[in-house]
Amino acid sequence: MKVDTAELPKKYRDAIDHWCRHNFPDLPLLNKYWSKYFPNDDEFCLCAKMDLATSKTIEVGDRAGEAKSETPADLGVEPAKHLLPIIRAQASTEFGSIQQHQVTLDRAQSDQDKFWVLRVMAEELRHGYQMFHLLTSRDWSSVTDVKPEDMVENVLAMKTGSHVLEAFNLAYDSFVDNVVFAAVIDRVGKYQLTMQKVCAYRPFAQSMPPMLREEAFHLAAGVVPMRRWMESAAKGDPFVTVRALQHSWNKWLPRGLEMFGDERGGDTNVRLGFKDKKNREAQLLYYKELERLIRDLNLRYLRARFADKSQEAIEEILRRVMAERGSTVEGVAWDDLLHLAHPEFFRRRGEPAYRMVGMDGQEFTRVDAYLGHLADNLSEAYTASRDMRVYADTLGDVAAGRLTREDAAKKAPKLERTSSVCPCSKSVRWVALDDAPANGKGNGNGHKAH
Amino acid sequence: MAVSASGVRVRPLNELDIEAITRIDEKVTGLYRPDFWESRVAYYLRRDPEASRVAEVDGEVVGFMLGDVRGGEFGLEETSGWIERFGVDPSQRGKGLGRQLFDELAEYFRSAGAARLRTLVDSRQGETERFLRAMGFENSALTALERPLGDGKK
Repeated sequence: MKVDTAELPKKYRDAIDHWCRHNFPDLPLLNKYWSKYFPNDDEFCLCAKMDLATSKTIEVGDRAGEAKSETPADLGVEPAKHLLPIIRAQASTEFGSIQQHQVTLDRAQSDQDKFWVLRVMAEELRHGYQMFHLLTSRDWSSVTDVKPEDMVENVLAMKTGSHVLEAFNLAYDSFVDNVVFAAVIDRVGKYQLTMQKVCAYRPFAQSMPPMLREEAFHLAAGVVPMRRWMESAAKGDPFVTVRALQHSWNKWLPRGLEMFGDERGGDTNVRLGFKDKKNREAQLLYYKELERLIRDLNLRYLRARFADKSQEAIEEILRRVMAERGSTVEGVAWDDLLHLAHPEFFRRRGEPAYRMVGMDGQEFTRVDAYLGHLADNLSEAYTASRDMRVYADTLGDVAAGRLTREDAAKKAPKLERTSSVCPCSKSVRWVALDDAPANGKGNGNGHKAH
Repeated sequence: MAVSASGVRVRPLNELDIEAITRIDEKVTGLYRPDFWESRVAYYLRRDPEASRVAEVDGEVVGFMLGDVRGGEFGLEETSGWIERFGVDPSQRGKGLGRQLFDELAEYFRSAGAARLRTLVDSRQGETERFLRAMGFENSALTALERPLGDGKK
């Protein structure tokens, strides 16, 4: 891949350095031990990378065949207005995931797991830097009054709880979340970046291949530790359980599915030439990929548990156990294995928002029964969170007819930090927003950025 | 991403290929080595995910070829494309999968600036060596040398 690299102006680099001191204090540790954990790999470079081979011709949508735009002004007002929140949301996810990872990073059971996640965090920082390059190196004044400095400050001021997408507003409960997040939520990132490779705004499209190249390892940093945990669990390690993994999967999967946007949307992105798939199509492919991952993890578990059995015998055990909830085959119970929750389970956005759908797709009619079901299938640390309390209250309002499902979907708990960018400043205050914008039915970008 | 007339699809490696690669290796060697392949796949993905490929038939991975582009080793300053691990499901042999994988890697290495392909082969693995020679590999001026460590004696 041939790339051009670019640096942000000093004032933005300084702002990111400052942000790292507060939000990513372990970055220097990665640089110090890089050659130990990643020998022969090029050293980490905090810069923007633009792929030189990206097509100059629009590939999808109403303007397919025309030249891609190089500036927001070329793009036109409507498309540029639509694209700007996408870039800001992308920036928010990159910085947001670092904040989430940092809190539980030191709880990794092995140094390798820790340094793999550290590398993921550093590369997410680069991706955020890349988005800042897109926001600040071109003139967006035709579609916004917000100055580039303020766009950067707005993103750097976000914390877990005030990010654009809900998946980045949930705190991690343990290092299990670091790993499951990398396998489940970063996978949505892979889909979004892949779809955006065709983007009619060429600087955005050029940003995707270098990010995707790094994202490939991020997914491995989730999948490989999980595979090893399944092996440990099969061998009876009391500190690594399938149940803990299952609860983390149940926490992140619904939020991952919602990151694709409402199932009925995505037409605008395709029409404008920003993506090559609508929301439902991409979401289905994602879910299918996760089915495969769950199957692989279960095979890993069973091979470790029955070292003397053939692959064919293992597959037969898996097939029989998975066929019926409650079944036990050769001592393997249904609950011993991982399961992929139904795509409508615990949803708060999109088509199934606030429908009470269980892990297996079963419908609940009573709120208390459904909340009990969620408590059985999510970690205690998470069910005791404010996020769950707001969800339960909102679900109660929907069930009582005080709120429509559509209005409930717009009512995400959201905190916005106002004033200064720096958490060391004393002039900071937080406000809860009542009117946080909902996942646009049509745009498929998750929530709109403020 | 190439799809041949025979329905073989060759695509870049990803982390979900670990299970299939482990299975192919087990069929070929008789050894079940998930830890080894988890480490190797993670290594190649972090180096360059485009530089390693798998071959799929009907959506199932039936062959793989792992490698990367690098330079500066063994005094070789020129950038080379290294082919390091490959395997084809025994039930799929004879269909040209190895050649398709090789062609895709070679093309990628060329585009990444490599002027030469390199590999090492165990001379006891005649089938592997025959395949590589069929791909155009010839003896190199470099000779692979080794000696055991431990008590310092041979």
